[in-house]
Amino acid sequence: MHSNRLTIVSILAIAAILLAACAPSTGTPAGTSAPASVQINGAGSTFAQPVYDAWIYAYQSVDPSVTLNYQGTGSGAGITAILDNTIDFAGSDALLTAAQYTQGKDLQMYPIMAGAIVPIYNITFNGTPPANKPLILNGKTLAGIYNATITMWNDPAILALNPDLASFLPAAKITAVHRSDGSGTTQLFTLALSAFSSSWTAGSGTSIQWPVDTAGNGIGGKGNPGVAAAVQNTPNSIGYVEFSYAISNKIAFASMINQAGILVVASADTLASAMNDFATNFNDKLTNTIVDAPGQTSWPIAGYTYIILHTSSSTDCTKELKLLQFINWALTSPTAAQIATNLGFATLPGSVQPTVLTALGQVTCNGQPVLK
Amino acid sequence: MAAMFPAAASTKKAKYISSRKGFVRRRSVNALMLVLTGAVTLLALIPLFWIIGYVLLKGGQYINIDFFTQLPRPAGIPGGGVLNAIEGTIMLTIVAGVIAIPIGSLSAFYAAYHPNTPLGIALRFGTDVLAGIPSIVVGIFGYALVVRPTGHFSLLAGGIAMAIIMLPTTIRTTEEMIKLVPTNLREGSLALGSSEWKTAFKVTFPAALSGIVTGFLLSLARASGETAPLLFTALGNTNFDIARLINGGIASGQSVIAIIGNILLQPTDSLALTLFKYSQDPSIDRINQSWAVAFVLLLLILVINIIARAWVESRAAKLRG
Repeated sequence: MHSNRLTIVSILAIAAILLAACAPSTGTPAGTSAPASVQINGAGSTFAQPVYDAWIYAYQSVDPSVTLNYQGTGSGAGITAILDNTIDFAGSDALLTAAQYTQGKDLQMYPIMAGAIVPIYNITFNGTPPANKPLILNGKTLAGIYNATITMWNDPAILALNPDLASFLPAAKITAVHRSDGSGTTQLFTLALSAFSSSWTAGSGTSIQWPVDTAGNGIGGKGNPGVAAAVQNTPNSIGYVEFSYAISNKIAFASMINQAGILVVASADTLASAMNDFATNFNDKLTNTIVDAPGQTSWPIAGYTYIILHTSSSTDCTKELKLLQFINWALTSPTAAQIATNLGFATLPGSVQPTVLTALGQVTCNGQPVLK
Repeated sequence: MAAMFPAAASTKKAKYISSRKGFVRRRSVNALMLVLTGAVTLLALIPLFWIIGYVLLKGGQYINIDFFTQLPRPAGIPGGGVLNAIEGTIMLTIVAGVIAIPIGSLSAFYAAYHPNTPLGIALRFGTDVLAGIPSIVVGIFGYALVVRPTGHFSLLAGGIAMAIIMLPTTIRTTEEMIKLVPTNLREGSLALGSSEWKTAFKVTFPAALSGIVTGFLLSLARASGETAPLLFTALGNTNFDIARLINGGIASGQSVIAIIGNILLQPTDSLALTLFKYSQDPSIDRINQSWAVAFVLLLLILVINIIARAWVESRAAKLRG
């Protein structure tokens, strides 16, 4: 009997302790004492996640007093979370809408780097096609595939672009993989499709009504990893992911014929070329669109990725300082730049970086500038 | 007439039984049904052993010490573990348990003792409804109720969501177990002059304890395998490390309560959540790790189940002897 009474008493005691522990902790703003370890939480873009993960890993040795956590929930979910004030920063390649700027009051997007989006494919060829001959697509064909007007891998439009592969492309239905979540990658991809083809009428956005879904040939994947995995596991499929997902997972990706009519392969150089084409187009919101770039060597589907912050409503100044120091490190440190380029991303153009750093310097906490 | 019929029937039956034809038919039907039920039983057992065997086989080969002691590494850097998810699962389970046990067992007492009061009926009805709510809805509820007001995805929010998942099972099993305690026992205690609450806690509760604990541990095992309620509440945290949080708190001279509060307010990961994320990843490393995570999760749930069984056995033995 004694042990039973003990069990009851201890259960009640644990409950009491927990209630006591919760009550003050939820009520106290976390900034009153200066904790030795600051936890910063971010969520959003899976486009930029490989770099953020690697940066956070490297940053542990730069400033051990800060613990960063980034969850790739998709740009859409990241924006929702920063609007709800449930995270400290959002990663997004989608641009905030006017309504979101109004709702968020003091939100600002800071460009961090640019990345390329590549069409990835998994085709069961007839026989063995020549090595080092990736599929070649142009904007109209890609739009046609997602429009469900091109439905077979041996469609004349695809055959005409790929004389080397013509006898190997199967008479198989194309399964087009797209994002199932609110996605900045989707926004960039659909912006590009709209620019490529006047017959693309589905518009652009973080999530759209895909014509290929209506036709029954589309499937959704969650996040860039989900799309990459879906293409890997679905024979005769095509998808679109940020470049590093294709590279690190060794998925075949297509070359493109760009606006200038030149065949280009996704790379740091063709990405930089697209950025240069629009280098002066940053608007007062610090945003810029670089799809369907006109340059001879420009990769046609690319975009900047951004970190979204509240600029003046933070009350935890220690945390805000640590966060801005991290972003500052990401934008200026050679180590950080090396990590980004190794993963196939391009750092900000020299003309833009100072503007972004100045904008970061204008972030305030309790009315005082955070970075001095 | 009334007497004739049974007599007639029984003579007819006796004739049938003694006939060779009837004998063969009964034997063959019997054999057929035996084979059929046996085969279906085997069929029902296949998924269980298949799942366990497959996960142990696939996951076991990727298990190593680092897997239990290291935080995850970014994709492309080999190695790393799921310490964050293991610690997170344990913490989430503790928080969920601390919330669900008192609420669940006390309300079950009420429902068992006052089954026909409006509140008792409402509790039983509410519990049934709660048990049927999809867990993803509980997650969204946790987001609206805890995450948004506090401004944090947190362990606490995840624990509350998990507690809500656990409540129906906890309440229903506790209530059933209390009802199973013979009324004589309760009446005897009352007749000897002890008060109602004393009877409840010193007679009924101990008698029902093993059943209650089993029910609780089973609901715990179920909740620790849930992903959906955590997506919107615990978020995930690749750097969740209790040792670091405690050391950091001590270094800055925080009180124990402040440190506990700080841990409760961190986003956290769980094994199920990690499994969900890793299994969708294209990287082969992550896929392999997701098998190992499944292995650890399965092991954890098996251990909880075995503890529940062992506890019941030992208590039953003690009560008998």
